[in-house]
Amino acid sequence: MTVTRTASQAAPRPTFAEVVEEHLDDVFGYLAYLTRDRGQAEDLASSTFEKALRLWERFDPERGSARTWLLGIARTTALDWFRSEARRRRREEAAAIPERVDEAFVEGLSPALEAALATLSAGEREVLALRVVLELDGDATARVLGISPTAVSTRLSRALKRLEERVSEE
Amino acid sequence: MTEIVDELRATRPRASDALRLQVLTAASRPPVRHASFLDRVRGRRLALLVPAAAGLAVVSAVAVGVTRPQPSARDAASAPTTVDRTTAESGVELAAPPAAADASTAQKAAPGPVTGRAQRYVATLALAVEDTDALSEATQRALAIARDLGGYVVNVQYATGADGTSSVTLRVPSNRAGDAVTRLSALGTIVAQNVQIQDLQEPLDSLDREVAKLRARIAALTVQLERATTSVERAQLLEQRAQAHAQLRELRASRAATAAEARNATIQLELRTEEGRGAVAPGSRLDRALDRAIEVLAWEAVVALALAVAAAPLVLVGAAVWGTRQARRRREDERLLASS
Repeated sequence: MTVTRTASQAAPRPTFAEVVEEHLDDVFGYLAYLTRDRGQAEDLASSTFEKALRLWERFDPERGSARTWLLGIARTTALDWFRSEARRRRREEAAAIPERVDEAFVEGLSPALEAALATLSAGEREVLALRVVLELDGDATARVLGISPTAVSTRLSRALKRLEERVSEE
Repeated sequence: MTEIVDELRATRPRASDALRLQVLTAASRPPVRHASFLDRVRGRRLALLVPAAAGLAVVSAVAVGVTRPQPSARDAASAPTTVDRTTAESGVELAAPPAAADASTAQKAAPGPVTGRAQRYVATLALAVEDTDALSEATQRALAIARDLGGYVVNVQYATGADGTSSVTLRVPSNRAGDAVTRLSALGTIVAQNVQIQDLQEPLDSLDREVAKLRARIAALTVQLERATTSVERAQLLEQRAQAHAQLRELRASRAATAAEARNATIQLELRTEEGRGAVAPGSRLDRALDRAIEVLAWEAVVALALAVAAAPLVLVGAAVWGTRQARRRREDERLLASS
């Protein structure tokens, strides 16, 4: 059976406020896992929604969900931050050893799991956040990360395995 | 493993109330800058660009076709090749205009008889008319033109079917022949034209000299007859004079026929509907405009193709550079996330 989507049958376009209300926690959670810093995650989430508001007219619901679109913007914003952080760290390392303040980036996690998460790379935490915490499917995760669904599965499997090993060691 | 996943999901991070308030407040404000038309269509830019360019090409071609609908070189090249170029016996060069020429051109191209000299003037005109209605009207107007110029109709053949043809032979006074050709040319689109002019003055003068000689001979024979003394001599002179009279009658008849030939010009008019022509006659103004528009479109396509061929290497190089930069940036991002 062939299903033809017409304009009248297409899902109505939500307002930006509705999208914010629905997906703010998703964006914040993703950024928290990625940066392992709640304060930074809040700043990046704020920047993400500012960008999203500017780009809202370009959002096309037929090309993907609002959540995937927002997470893509969040990832770009976070990558910009990571790059600037890397540059800042290189400068600071030349002068003095940077002091890192570790605090709980996810409330309610057991110390062992939190410590294990801290040993993972941002890339591993990212795929855990998307696939496990936010429960995105493989295709949506692949679109956010810009890789194939197979690569997502591989990366998730490796991250979970490492996380399990670290938790066991703890 | 399941326990880890359950714990991760159970402790899903939630944004603080302060962040929620901040973002919702910003979201409730109208955007500082409304997306421009280009922003809105950015994703579909290519999809719009192609029909826009095609539309522009068609509009410009139609504009050129409407403003410059004159027959093109291609039309002239594809016109029927029934144009004759004949040298008449008198040495007068006669030329027919191209098939696509209009009546004014025909008027210039068709020479009339030279006044003051006896000439045989024979013109053949082949015209195309739009349909059988136009064929009938053109035929009747041709007859009217002949009568109007003091001439007469020698022969008319008119036939209609899948296509129509009409053949009209007219004779008009020689001094009106040029006028007749001009008026008849306007009855349709000229497909072919042939004019033959033969000088008859010299034959007429020759006949006149022969007549004068015969008259002189007859007069001489009459004088000899009056002076004849024997019956045998008288019988011989009478016989010679009778022969001379017979020759004189023949010469007079011949001269009268030649003079009559010179008095009237013969015009053969061939009319044919467009559908019946072997080749396509130049059409109406709309047809010519369409032809011109198609020609312009073809040129635009050629130019576009040439530009595409010239730009293709640059586009390929640009795409390769862009792809390489994207891949390198992705690898750098992966390394960055792996080391963070």
